[in-house]
Formats: sequence, structure tokens, C-alpha cells
Amino acid sequence: MSPSPISMPPSSPIADDTTDDNALQPFFVLHKALPQKCDRKAAGSTRTRRKIDLPPSSPKSPEKSDAVASSVGPNDANYERLRLEAFDMTWSKIDTTIKEVLTRVHRNLFAEVHQWALESFLALKSGKPRNAFEIQTPYPLLDDVICKQIPTAMILTKNAEFVDDMLTFQELGEHLKSKGCHIANLSAMDFCAKDGIAGCLRSLLRQLVMDAPDMADMSVLSSWYCEPENYDHPVIIVIDDMERCSGAILADFIRLLSEWVIKLPVIFIMGVATTDTAKKLLPSDALQHLQSSKFTLGSPLERMNALVEAVLVKPSFGFNIGHNVAVFMRNYFLGHDGTITSFVRALKLACVKHFSMEPLSFLGIDILDENQVFLHGKCDALPDSLLKYAFNLPSCKRGKDCKNSRDDLGEGLSDLRKLLKAWSSVILCLYEVGKHNKIQLLDIFCEATDPTLSSLDPSNHKLERSFNGQNLAEGRLDFKGGLIGQLIHTVRELPLSSLIKLLDSWSIHTEELCEVHGEVRELQSVVKSSNGGNNLKDRQIDCHRMSMSLCAGRTSLSVNGKAAALLDNMVRKFLMPIECLCFHEIICFRNVDILQSALIGNPRRNIQVDLMKSTTYIKCSCCSGNENVLSPTMHDTSVMYNLAQEHGDLVNLQDWYHSFKSTVLGTNKLKCPLQHSPMSKKVKSSPSESEASIQARFCRAVIELQIAGLFRMPSKKRPDFVQRVAFGL
Amino acid sequence: MDLRVGEEVPMEEDDEFTLSRNYFLAKEGSTSRKKSARKLSDIDLVDEQVLRMAVSAIKPKHEKEIESLLKSYKDLYSKWLFELRCGFGLLMYGFGSKKILLEDFASTTLTDYGVVVINGYLPSVNIKQVVITLAEVLSDQLKHKRKNSTGSKSRTQQPFSSQSIEDLLSFLNLQLPDDNDCFICVVIHNIDGPSLRDSESQQYLARIASCSLVRMVASVDHVNAPLLWDKKMVHTQFNWCWYHVPTFAPYKFEGSFFPLVLANCGNSQTTKTALVVLQSLTPNAQSVFKILAEYQLANEKEGMPINALYTKCRERFLVSNQVTLNSHLTEFKDHELVKVGRHADGQDCLHIPLPCEALGQLLQELG
Repeated sequence: MSPSPISMPPSSPIADDTTDDNALQPFFVLHKALPQKCDRKAAGSTRTRRKIDLPPSSPKSPEKSDAVASSVGPNDANYERLRLEAFDMTWSKIDTTIKEVLTRVHRNLFAEVHQWALESFLALKSGKPRNAFEIQTPYPLLDDVICKQIPTAMILTKNAEFVDDMLTFQELGEHLKSKGCHIANLSAMDFCAKDGIAGCLRSLLRQLVMDAPDMADMSVLSSWYCEPENYDHPVIIVIDDMERCSGAILADFIRLLSEWVIKLPVIFIMGVATTDTAKKLLPSDALQHLQSSKFTLGSPLERMNALVEAVLVKPSFGFNIGHNVAVFMRNYFLGHDGTITSFVRALKLACVKHFSMEPLSFLGIDILDENQVFLHGKCDALPDSLLKYAFNLPSCKRGKDCKNSRDDLGEGLSDLRKLLKAWSSVILCLYEVGKHNKIQLLDIFCEATDPTLSSLDPSNHKLERSFNGQNLAEGRLDFKGGLIGQLIHTVRELPLSSLIKLLDSWSIHTEELCEVHGEVRELQSVVKSSNGGNNLKDRQIDCHRMSMSLCAGRTSLSVNGKAAALLDNMVRKFLMPIECLCFHEIICFRNVDILQSALIGNPRRNIQVDLMKSTTYIKCSCCSGNENVLSPTMHDTSVMYNLAQEHGDLVNLQDWYHSFKSTVLGTNKLKCPLQHSPMSKKVKSSPSESEASIQARFCRAVIELQIAGLFRMPSKKRPDFVQRVAFGL
Repeated sequence: MDLRVGEEVPMEEDDEFTLSRNYFLAKEGSTSRKKSARKLSDIDLVDEQVLRMAVSAIKPKHEKEIESLLKSYKDLYSKWLFELRCGFGLLMYGFGSKKILLEDFASTTLTDYGVVVINGYLPSVNIKQVVITLAEVLSDQLKHKRKNSTGSKSRTQQPFSSQSIEDLLSFLNLQLPDDNDCFICVVIHNIDGPSLRDSESQQYLARIASCSLVRMVASVDHVNAPLLWDKKMVHTQFNWCWYHVPTFAPYKFEGSFFPLVLANCGNSQTTKTALVVLQSLTPNAQSVFKILAEYQLANEKEGMPINALYTKCRERFLVSNQVTLNSHLTEFKDHELVKVGRHADGQDCLHIPLPCEALGQLLQELG
């Protein structure tokens, strides 16, 4: 187990030990990896672990435990390693799940494209030359345009952003490859005007031909295709984002390949945002070489629902997000760019932050394991300091009294697992209803994680309020409690056919929730018996008003009413937001501020705030005091920036200089320099501060503001002014 | 999904309103308030040499406080390392030079990994050379590891310096089985700096950052730095984790390539900077510049017509065709050594934006 470097006391004071030489080199090697570290790393990595090894500091060795307890802080290197490994395991599981989900979403499209590719290939083959020699000879050229057409799948992405689609196209490529096609993924980067057609050809060869010579030559490709293992498979070229390619180069590429298409069965798959992309981008002579077919990708929302279900709702990873984080991520998805990629990135960052900040997060991977032996083993091995930490978690403090023993922790975590499973079943049931209203799972998830909606609290009647209220009548939804209320109401309105399907899906989702499952089965049988021999397809039965006397001794309630009551009951009983559960901090990331600041840096705002409020960072005794007065001792650049706020978009250098000078000399006590007309005031230099030095400080501050990009320098037209670039925060 | 909720959306809108309001207020302010007509030359400007001396002798303020601010970030080092190990890149921003901070982090915390530093604030950085160095450092690291784990497994391969950038990148992107803690770090001071600002460099940096065996730690200083990257670069390649770490440390090296606003009455080009640029050019380019300078010294009022320059250069065998001359001129124009103006008779003229004395001195120093 290697001690991490950060466990070493940071004894070295920060000092500018860089030599000027290095600072003026375009680049340099600061250091190479320490050899002894590599050894230990290598030795460590050979051990295989299915479950994470526990650090040797076990409290069962009494002679050690006290010392360990005092030294093992949450930041101890051993535990940090554990958390890192836990992160790796957790994220690799999440990542695999995401990939599977996305592939599942696209499965139909992929199959369609594959089918099309096979048909196109057969069509191409029907006119192909007979032997290898013919394939390798570039002549005679084909004259007939029809013979030179390349089958092209235009895949409509329905998305202005292309990042999500890159992954889709990559997967499509992999799918086709697994079916025996030759695949080359080309991106817009390969079709840039600078490299010309050689660039894309080289990239094509690199991907298809092993040990390809670094030259662009079609004959290399044709001889590669003639090798027995490559022969008789279609060569599919995937271009993920056609719009970003250089039209001229792409056209050349198409013309070139069209000359070869009979000999080399090339098929294009291109991602386009609209149907006329190709028309706009390519000249007609290139366009006529494309024989295009259209396909359409699923929308991002569709993918999002599948993803939220697999990753956030089903509790299988030992990592979850709290309400604020969920709302933030939803807004980030909707308001930022609507891409799955950015959502997944935000989720990964949340996951990293969770594992780096939460000392007990490494327990997460075992909490959701059916076999609780590992979890209990881990809890037993926890040092006292961490155990104390666990019972001091806010959620635990507000929970029931525990004896604070290791067993209690294990029990608490097992309970957490059970509650989470029930919670996720209920959300899935709600989502089944939501599908009828086109309500997104992420919205339901956000509401269901809201800790103010704790259904265990009997005084909480938000649900009722929301669907009795005026909002619902107007079709508007109040976020707090509104959605779930509306969903329950929807159940009352469902036609019988949908209700039957709904109950079927509920019975799948509640399989592990015995008491609810029984009721669902009962309802199912009631519905089926009441439905009898009615042919639902022929007659649309709106049965929510149809009152049915059910089994003897029961109240006469419509089946819809019963289902709604069941759902309502489930919500009240089991939809307990994760943030209300004991020990949830161990698996739940809630710190939305940290996530936001790491995800979306805001240099424009923050750099200005730094300058306006420099004293909050430089905590000195000399400059603090009244915020409205600029003190001469303040950071020069900060003084300058504050002074510039008084100007319009153009700042007269001379005015600025004089107000700076009077501020640093302490003769200008007011923040507003312009009103004081610095010109009229004769500023006397103190002997300690020479004119040259003030001018030098002024120049340096201007340079620093220029580096920050806050000012544009004087131009020929306006030699006496600088121009402000940023207005307001 | 509808946009009903949003703790943030309204806030962002508010921000936008303030921003636009401020902009128009500032615009209005500058027109309604009579624009100040004061000249920079009214200031009793000191001599440029004296000014430069004074700049290098500026007494630092709040040294102790800045140092303790820098020290306070040491607590974050372990988190930063954690995030690097998890596959994220670190992007530091905030006012003040972050050069010392990043190098301190690299030399105290990243000791397990090879570290290459790029000074993006310099006027030119050759990315290919950087990639070659990265490959060498990585290869060393891997060799050492291999020796210790599975015995020697030497592979004959051509030297990195003769490989194409694609090959080098795919070497940096090797997938190592069962070890995701082996990587090298690239520290980039000012990834938004002048030499790296162009889109081609950023594309290459993004590709380097996305390599599985490379982690990137970078700093930005410009408020508009995020505009350098598109969605693909941000989400799938750089994978930044942002940190706001203002240091208020002076931009000692970063600022050394900027002109002093009070020197030369705001004239941005000075003899010294011109000399530095010229010395980095080929002897032929220098000679072309000399012809132009000599012409300007002889004919003070007017610039030199391009045709005349071309004829002169051909006579002296400095260029053989117009294309070569144009490439020299583009270089001069890019570095603001030459300005193009229109002569009275309509033809384009070249002019060096330096006063006669400065030009004379420049010629002398250029030899």
C-alpha cells in the first residue's frame, strides 16, 4: 500500500523556485515519475481484488487501535485509496450501464441500418468485377453515373448539438463491425481544407489497413481489400457530422470513391441535422454520386428517460444524487445544451466529488449488494474515528437513537438499501402512469427526491393540495408535489385497456415489494374478471365512471379509483426521499454548489469579482475597512479596475492615470475620481514614490487587466483611450 | 420536458438583464458625458528605459498575504490529485498568476507521474515537439514499470521524433490493462495564451487531453477563455473540472510580452520587441526588412510601394517570386512590424511603424 504523496506534510513553503530559464522555454520536463513509486504501484496493481481490500488498521488488533483511531482521519491515504477504488468500480458500472442503455435505445435503428447496408452491398456486388486484377486496376474509368453511385445512409440526428451523436455513430460503427463489415469512422477534422483530400484518405487507410504507409493512395486500399480475409465484406465509412466537413474536400472524396465503388464496395453513413444538409454542402456533381436513404435517430429525451431509469432510479451503484443536485442537473440538461453527454459528464463529476469528499463513500459499493457479508465485514473493520463520524452524520442524529455500535451501522445501511429499493419501485410505477401524460422520468425523479415531500410525515398533505388546487384545473403544474398528485389523478382517468397494461407493469416493478405486489395482483384479477369477454379493441370503454361492485363486502369503488388509491398509498408509504433516510450521506451527493462551480467555471464573473473585492482574498490589516474607499495599499490592479468602473465604455488613459496616482498617493479619499476633476487638482508626489514608479505600476496594472481580457488597448484611432470589454458581472 | 422549474433560470435571466443594462449605461455614459479629450502625452511621461527599470523594480504589495493565500490552496492538492486520477482535467482560473501554484502542485503532489510544463504565455509553442517529449516521458515511465512488473519487454520502434503526430497520439492513448493509475501530466500555463489561442493548437491540445495516458492541468486568465472550446472538446476531450483559485500573484512572466501602455505614447511597437521578432526570422526575411527600413529612412514621408520592394529584393537575390515575398510580408504584418497603407497614387505601400531614430537603432542592432 503506497502512501500517497499528499499524506506527506506540506513542509515546503510555496516559493518561486522556477528558474527564469524554464519560464522562457516553450515547454520543459518538470520531473519524471519517481522510480520507487512505480515499483510499488506495479506490485500493488498485480493483486486482484473483487472486493476492496480493507486497510490493515483493524480495530481488532487492540494494541494498534488507539493509535490508529487518532491518526486515521477521513483524509488518511489508505482510505483515500479505498475511495478511489470504489469510485473506479462504481463509475465503471455506471458507464457500462449507460452504454448498454443507449445501445438498447438505438437497437432498432442499428438493425435497420445493418439490413440496409447488406442490401446495398448485394446491389453493389451484382455489378462488381470478377477478379483481383480488375479490382486493383484504376482503369478503365466508369462512365455511367448510375454505376458510380455510392449507397449513403443519411441519419437525421434531430439535434443541433453533435456531441451525443458522436457516441451514437461510434456505437453504430461497432455494431456493424461486429456484423462483419469493415468500418472507418471519419470526423469533420479529417475533412479540413488544409490537409485536402489526402487528409481524409490517410485517415481512412489508417483505420482500415494495418501498418498503412503514411501516404494517401487508393491502390493501397484496393490491394488491402483483395486479401482473402477482407474480401467480400462491405466497407462502411461513417461520417458523424457532415455539416462540419469542408464541402469541397468531401465532394472530392465522394468523386474519388465513386470511381472505385464497383470494385470496392464502399457505403457511406452520414449524420445530418436536416434533410437538405447534403444539398447545401455538396455541389451537384458530387451529390449525384450519392444514392441516399434516410434514417432517423431517437430524440434526446427518449434517451434521457431510459438513462435516468437505469442509472438514477434503480439503486444498483451505491451512488445517488440529492434533490438539489437532481434539479440542478435537470436544469443543466434543459437549459445548457440538452445533450446526454453533458448530463453524463455532470453525473460523473458529481460522482467524483462525492467519492473525494465523503469519507465513508467507499461503503457505497457494498450497501446495495444482496450479500451483506462484505458490508458487515467492512463496518466491523472501521476505525473508531470513522465510526464516530458515521454516527455524527446529520441524518443519523435526527434519526432514532442508536447505540452507535458497528452493528448499528451495518443494520442502518441494510435498512437504507431496503428503503431505496422500495422507493425506486414506486418511482417506476409512477413513471408508468407518466408515460400516458408524456411526463418525463427526470421530472418525477426530481420531485420524488424532494425532502420536503416526506411522505412519512402524516401532516404532509401537499399531494392532496396539489390536485385539488386551481393549478391542475388550469393545466399548470406546481413543482412541489404537483406532478405526483397529477399522476395519481391520471390513474383515475385511464381507460380500461391502459389500466390493464399499467397494472401489468406495476406487477413487474413491485415484485420485490411483497405487500404492494399482492394488492396489485388482486386488482389485476378484479379488472380481468370485470372485463370478461369484452373486446377492448372494438369498443373503447371509458370505465372510470363505470362503478363496479367488486367482491362482496368491499366498498363500491371504480377500479380506477382503487388503482389510484393504491398508488397514493404506495407514495405515502414508500416514496421516502433519499435525503430523509439515515446514513444517506454515504451514498448520496447533495452539494450542488461544488458541482456547479466545478462544472461551469465562470471566469467572466469571478475574475471581475476578484478584482472588485480583492480584500476578501488578501486578508491584510491595512486595506480592510470601508468598502467604498479605495485604500492606497490595495492591490494596484484592483484599484485600477475599481476606478475604471466610473468610466463609460471608453476610459481616458490620462484621467485614469491621474485618478490612480491620487489614489495610491492617498490624496483621493473618494471613490469617484471623475467628479473631482483630477486635472484641476495638482497631485504632489511624495518623495518616496517617484513618478516613474507610479507610471510603472500603472503600466503593469494595465497589462494585468489586458491579460484578463477586461480591456482593449489604445488603437490608432483612439490613442488616448482604452476600451472596457466587460460590463457588469 | 417543460421548463417550469428553475431556481437558476430566472437568476440567469436577471444576470443577462443587468449585463445588457450595464452595457447600454456605459455606452450612454460615454456619449452623454462629454468624452474626455485629454491626451496621454499631457502626462509627464518618463523615458522608456527608466520606465522599464521601474517596472522591474516595483515593490510587491501584500507578499505575506499572497503567500498564505497560495498556501491555503495546498489543502486542495489531494482533491485535485483525486480528480486527475478519476480522469478529469483541472482548469484553474481567477485573478493572479497561477504559475507558482501549478508548479508547486505538480512538484509536491504529482511525484508519481512524469510532468511536462508548457508555457502558453510565450509567443510561440511547437505542439509537435511537445507531443514528442510527452511520448518520451511516457515511454520512460512505461519502460520502468515493465522492468519492475513483467520483466524486460523491449520493442524495437522508430524514434519518436520521426513519428507522425497521429502515431504519437495513439501511443499516448494506449490502453493499459488493469492499471488506470499510470499516466503523465501536462501542466499548461495559460492554455488561453497567445501561442495556443488558435483553433488548430486547441484541437491538438484537446486530442492530447483525451488520451488515456495523459492528464491535463491548465490555467486560464482571460475572461472569455471558455469560448476557445466547442462542445466536443469540453465534454469529451478536456473534461475540465474548474477551480476558482485567485492568487493575486504578479504576472511576472505572463506579462513580459505585453507593451507598456505609457511607453512611446502608447506606440505598441518598440525597438526591442521588433528586434526579438526579427532575430527569430530567417536571414533572408531580415534582409527584406532591412531594405524596407533603409527605404523608409531615406524617404521619410512615404511608404515603400510593394512593387519597388519586390524589384529590390529580386536584385539582391533575396526572393525569387512574389509568393515568397508575400510570405515574408505576412510574417511582418502578423508581428506588427509592417503596416500597409495606400499611397496618393492608389498603390499599396509598406510602412514600418517606428520613428526614425528607433529604426536606425534597430538596423544597427540587427547588424
